[in-house]
Amino acid sequence: MINSNSTRTPTAKFVSGLETADNLPVAQNPLYYAWRRFLGNRGAVFSGSILLVIVLMAIFAPLITPTSYEEQKFLTENLSFPSAEHWFGVDDLGRDFYTRIVYGARISLSIGFVAAAFSVLVGLPLGALAGYYGGAVDWFIMRVIEIFSVVPPLMAALLFAALAGGGFVSIVIIAALFGWVQVCLLVRGQVMAFRNKEFIRAAQALGATPRYVIYRHLIPNSISPVIVGFVQAIPLAMMLEAGLSFLGVGIAPPLPSWGQMINLGIGIMFFYWHLALFPTLALAITVLSTTLFGDGLRDALDPTLKG
Amino acid sequence: MVGYVIRRLLSVCVTFFVVSILLFVMMHAIPGGPFDATEMPLSEAAKATIMARYGLDQPLYVQYLKYMWGVLHFDFGIPYQSPGETVLELLGRAWVPSLVLGGAGVLIGAPLGIALGLMAALKRNSWVDYLASAIATLGLTIPVFVTSMLLILVFAVWLNWLPASGWGEPRKWILPIIAYAAIPLATYARYTRSAMLDTLNKPFVTVLRAKGLPERKIIFQHVLRNSAIPMVTVFLPMFIGTATGSIFVEAMFRVPGLGAYFVSSIVTRDYPLEMALILMITVMFCLAYFLADIAYALLNPRIRLGGKGTK
Repeated sequence: MINSNSTRTPTAKFVSGLETADNLPVAQNPLYYAWRRFLGNRGAVFSGSILLVIVLMAIFAPLITPTSYEEQKFLTENLSFPSAEHWFGVDDLGRDFYTRIVYGARISLSIGFVAAAFSVLVGLPLGALAGYYGGAVDWFIMRVIEIFSVVPPLMAALLFAALAGGGFVSIVIIAALFGWVQVCLLVRGQVMAFRNKEFIRAAQALGATPRYVIYRHLIPNSISPVIVGFVQAIPLAMMLEAGLSFLGVGIAPPLPSWGQMINLGIGIMFFYWHLALFPTLALAITVLSTTLFGDGLRDALDPTLKG
Repeated sequence: MVGYVIRRLLSVCVTFFVVSILLFVMMHAIPGGPFDATEMPLSEAAKATIMARYGLDQPLYVQYLKYMWGVLHFDFGIPYQSPGETVLELLGRAWVPSLVLGGAGVLIGAPLGIALGLMAALKRNSWVDYLASAIATLGLTIPVFVTSMLLILVFAVWLNWLPASGWGEPRKWILPIIAYAAIPLATYARYTRSAMLDTLNKPFVTVLRAKGLPERKIIFQHVLRNSAIPMVTVFLPMFIGTATGSIFVEAMFRVPGLGAYFVSSIVTRDYPLEMALILMITVMFCLAYFLADIAYALLNPRIRLGGKGTK
């Protein structure tokens, strides 16, 4: 359970080198201290930069790839191995595999970000309500979360995917369906910690409605767990997308998805290893850097959340 | 404590029924049916007979009530994809590979993870510590089918030491067991390390040291015992999670286990098998969490001797 983070404010005073001549700490935006803590974490900075490179590659994919992702321009060189001309080789349908991998980052990242945004959209209000009202509201939301914790998520996701028929939108919805739980729990913990603080009591005593207190005071104070929850939901959604596409119920061809390419690659890996290796590495590096970046962000924004 | 146990058991039952209703509705909402003519076209009359035979012509709530009545008598019906046996017989057969591979994965991975976490905690900031952290991070973040793929590529395709897939002979079990072992190894390395460090910083350890107890005795008799609680409670849910088979590992290594049957049951709309699998695993998870809570209460003297419930 996440406890109150009363320790957070004092740490600011002890960041070295910030005292002015008369030895008083300079008042700084809390984000400034978070930023400094983040920069102090070499692993997080490194994985953050890798993630940034992957994001830039995804955004500028048309500029750094020779063809479009579905253009069968190299049919005569089908399945050829990596070379100077085709960095990752050519796939079974005559498409440049490097191009497919780069465009795969677009699919993976966009599903990760959009699904994480939806997770926050659902988890934030529910967590705030559960934390603020407690009692029956909290009980009900926690029972729903309990159901999500005992049903094997992949089996349920597979069932949903069969129901919704795969595709970008349904993958995003399924990922959000499982991603909101973590955000909700983080926000709930934060709101519960702040619910009984003096400034909330004062606002209530002055006649502020619950709606006002939640929007004006509790949600702004939950911004760190929300950011953390958002970033941590991204790799989960990416893994879900890759998994469902691997099983053939996710993103449908010709859209390039790493999971789908792994599924193709495993069938012919004994002859054409490159078709299995590159999508696997791309997925591993992306998920790993996103997770480490998220962990670093969590430690920087709110050291009390470290698990 | 007794009241707590009863409350928890009741909540397991409620969860079971809620999950079963949701599943039943969802499953039948998926377009298509088990006897749609794809491979063997059936005449209308023959199809109607089969539908009636399996009760699929009745309204959904009747089907649900009938199904649940059967479940209460441990009758899970007959799997459409293999009508010669009952669902329970099929599950018993399919569970063997999952249990062997997943179970072995946990039983190998968990002790290794504990040992790694222990060494990391005792030699803090040494190379063992960094290795343990690296393994824990990799094991917990890299999806299992990526691990499997890399294992297959290295050991089956490039080195050609081990077979890439299949189930028959024990040689084929090695790679999937390693893939399964990665998660318990990583989880336990991290849990053990943080639990040990937590205990090592407690004042009573300082007292023991001041009293001149040998370090070995402090570690094994006092610190380890006091760090064991989170390690014990996490075991059962993890065992269930792994020993019921992973859809991905079984798909990667072509193992005919529970995960593989689940995928085929979705594809062929094999309602009885689908229901039985998800319900079974859900109940096992409920019970595992429940037993973990009980174990936590029993192991923790503060709760056991206090005589109060855990929550």
